[in-house]
Amino acid sequence: MDDFEKQLKDAFQRQDPSADFESRVLAAASREKQKPRWRLTLWMPGRLRWAAALAMSLVLAAVVVRQREVHERAAGEAAKARLELALKITSTKLKKIQDQVNAGRQDE
Amino acid sequence: MERVGVVTRILRPSPIPPAYIDLRRMLAAQSAMERGPGSKVFAELVREHQSMVFSIACHFLRDRSLAEEIAQDVFLQLYRNLESLESEAHVAFWLRRVTSNRCVDYVRRRQRRPETSLDDGPEPRNVEASGDPMLSRKLRALVQSLPEKPRLVMILRYQEDLMPEEIARTLDMPVRSVKSILHRSLAILREKMERSMGDPR
Repeated sequence: MDDFEKQLKDAFQRQDPSADFESRVLAAASREKQKPRWRLTLWMPGRLRWAAALAMSLVLAAVVVRQREVHERAAGEAAKARLELALKITSTKLKKIQDQVNAGRQDE
Repeated sequence: MERVGVVTRILRPSPIPPAYIDLRRMLAAQSAMERGPGSKVFAELVREHQSMVFSIACHFLRDRSLAEEIAQDVFLQLYRNLESLESEAHVAFWLRRVTSNRCVDYVRRRQRRPETSLDDGPEPRNVEASGDPMLSRKLRALVQSLPEKPRLVMILRYQEDLMPEEIARTLDMPVRSVKSILHRSLAILREKMERSMGDPR
């Protein structure tokens, strides 16, 4: 460490905060303690927290998979209904044409 | 069977080296009721580390009241996370890291909605401890002119006496970058210092 760096060290010596800093921090922490704690992480012990996180992830993954299945099934049902309608229309038209052809033959 | 093994491995607490077990043992020794803000452990940690946390913020921001505000937030965060910290060394590392992040966040937020420039702020009072007070003030002003990361690196190096490897861990940066920042910042500061010394004003 050369002179310049020693001067930097002198310039950046630690300083103390105001005298009441510690009591203010402790008072703020005391207020913090009195706040209701709803966060899962605060009241769960470490190991249980991991288990809860794992379980939550599994449930979330299951819900996503289930949602996707429901979506795919609904899309399939809609496609099936559209196809049935199209077939019904085609069949009605074909029947009409067949009736006309039959009527023509009878006229001949 | 294999899956059960994986789950058991995840749930098993990570082994802590014996040297790092002090704080956990201390905390475990206290009952849940005693572990409040009035508890010995938290109060002692505040007392022991307040000058470190406050000084990092104060040297970075050059504003005592703002530095106290940030230091208080950092200690409140420590209070919330006390049980996850394993040792005195871990607490000091954690405090340096959180203080550094908070200072950078504050400056970035401030830059997005500027009110008054931190660079124009007054020089903190009662900071001269030893050496030439004028020179120290000049050096602090020069370090203040550096960008955020180099400024933090300089503060951690010369206030906290940390080695580049420790600074890299604290600021989550590659060691090579820290070394290069230190080298460049020192060169810039030396040059500026020489220029200002040569300036007759």
